[in-house]
Amino acid sequence: MRHAFGTVFRKELIDNLRDRRTLLTVLVFGPLFGPVFYAVMMNTIVNKQIGNLDQPLKLPVRGASYAPNLVSYLQQNNTVIEAAPADPRQAVKAGKADVVLVIPREYAEAFRAGKPAPVELVMDASQEAAGKNINRTRTLLQNYGREIAALRLLARGVDPRAIAPLAIEDVDVSTPQSRAVLVLGMVPYFFLFAAIIGAFYLAIDTTAGERERGSLEPLLTTAVPRGTLVAGKLAAVSFYSAVSLALDILALYWCQGLFPAAKLGIAVNFDLPAALAAFLVMVPFCLFIAALLAVVASFTRSYKEAQTWLSFIFILPLIPVLALLLFPAQPALWMMLVPAMSQDVLMTALIKGQELSGGFVAVSVVVTLAAGLLLARLAAWLYRREKILG
Amino acid sequence: MIQVTGISKRFGAVQAVEAVSFSAPDGRITGLLGANGAGKSTTLRIISTVLKPDSGTVTVDGADTLAAGDAVRLRLGVLPHASGLYPRLTARENIRYFGELNGLAGAALQQRLDQLIALLEISEFAERPAKGFSQGQRIKVALARALVHAPRNIVLDEPTNGLDVMATRVLRTLIRGLRDQGHCILFSSHVMQEVAALCDDIVIIAHGRIVARGTPDEIRRQSGETDLEEAFVKAVDAAPGAAP
Repeated sequence: MRHAFGTVFRKELIDNLRDRRTLLTVLVFGPLFGPVFYAVMMNTIVNKQIGNLDQPLKLPVRGASYAPNLVSYLQQNNTVIEAAPADPRQAVKAGKADVVLVIPREYAEAFRAGKPAPVELVMDASQEAAGKNINRTRTLLQNYGREIAALRLLARGVDPRAIAPLAIEDVDVSTPQSRAVLVLGMVPYFFLFAAIIGAFYLAIDTTAGERERGSLEPLLTTAVPRGTLVAGKLAAVSFYSAVSLALDILALYWCQGLFPAAKLGIAVNFDLPAALAAFLVMVPFCLFIAALLAVVASFTRSYKEAQTWLSFIFILPLIPVLALLLFPAQPALWMMLVPAMSQDVLMTALIKGQELSGGFVAVSVVVTLAAGLLLARLAAWLYRREKILG
Repeated sequence: MIQVTGISKRFGAVQAVEAVSFSAPDGRITGLLGANGAGKSTTLRIISTVLKPDSGTVTVDGADTLAAGDAVRLRLGVLPHASGLYPRLTARENIRYFGELNGLAGAALQQRLDQLIALLEISEFAERPAKGFSQGQRIKVALARALVHAPRNIVLDEPTNGLDVMATRVLRTLIRGLRDQGHCILFSSHVMQEVAALCDDIVIIAHGRIVARGTPDEIRRQSGETDLEEAFVKAVDAAPGAAP
């Protein structure tokens, strides 16, 4: 019954091509959600992190007259001193200032006496956006303190190096690509997302939708083995999933110029061979997800119910992605045995610019395909039960 | 020729069909008559192989539904209770899909499509998507779909449901035509007049059991009633499991 397989496959392709919602998700929403979301997010991050490094730090200072030396040190170090708001705490709480430096009257006296001179940094540690300016201010104050300490030691005839027993030097071995992972860590999820959403509506339409319309019963009275019917349907669902995935990869490939990655000092390795490798690594997942969705959908009674249950599937691949973001680990063989996780790990390595291990890729492809085929057999078995008619 | 022998089917606590036996010979119209919930649809679904009987056997032209499902399905054209067309496909595409599934292809399929579209007067809406079809149009397309592979045996589950007078007359003429060509036709209905007007043989089913069967004359004679409707009521009331 090979011709029947082709007949079912073709019919589902054409039938769903006429459904505007399916088409929109497969061709537009699925493929573009990731890259667009990404372009917006990256640009925002970059503007926050880099944009203001070169700019002078605007620092409201209260009681500047008590510490003219400190103030002129700040000014020499790219800081613009502003008048402090009347109530610094309130101003910071309201987000009107990132940080306010308050120099109390006692400062001058303590400084002159050689005791620790109090200064207050009024800030809101929960304001992530203010963190950069808080750190800049703190670093400036610490540097000033160190300079003064050295001068005081010299005045007492002590080598200032005595209070610097450690000489710490940062040696950053991260390559631009590995830094990219911090920023691009979600990209594998977007690929998974595109594959899932490409399969989503088709999986429902060809299973629960078919039952709800009443077309399943006549279909089951044709002289086609049910396994062949299921195979044709799954092939169509996988195909749509793969189309959505391919478009997503192409979109990322074409749009990468829009990402201000270089400004962050990271290199995105996504040339044509990498894009092709991404597709080959990801495409077994399309069969897997199609079969998984079909199995879940065959337990549901209506289109609506199927939609609800299948929505949970969106969260599933997010679990390994989040786990790897929270607990970064080197790729390991066991990860290749988990569909979604293996693709995530391999995609991450690909973006990092690491050499993909052929063995790992092979295990991922074989295991994911095998799991997909197993689920497909399960779906076929579910379709042989008479309960399938609901 | 459809031969049903002692089939029973239970859904949970409900005995839908119990020890049902009858035969629907070629060249005759057999009507399965019963109230809603009497077990008509279950019986027809067992015949069309989408349900399996708990016990008993069904053969279609000698092929067993359990042992040779594919062979049975090739010999059977089924119009299920819900017409179940694909709304985004046109009438012609709906029919063609089932033709291809049942092994037709090329010029033979094309010819068969044109023939059915003419026979069932579908041409006016043949190229329109099924989404906006009237009930009558839907039944016609679903019937064409059931007939596309020229099956010897035709099973119709309440085919005249929701049809207007004209459409019903067209359908009756068509069913008689198929009978005269030698097809075996089994159809279910809960409408007495429907069965009386069309059927050569009547099988009355109540509470999942056969309570009477034969030609309309035989059924009238068995019950001692001159009116078929009275005969039907009498047969159903006498059935075991009837409400006291």
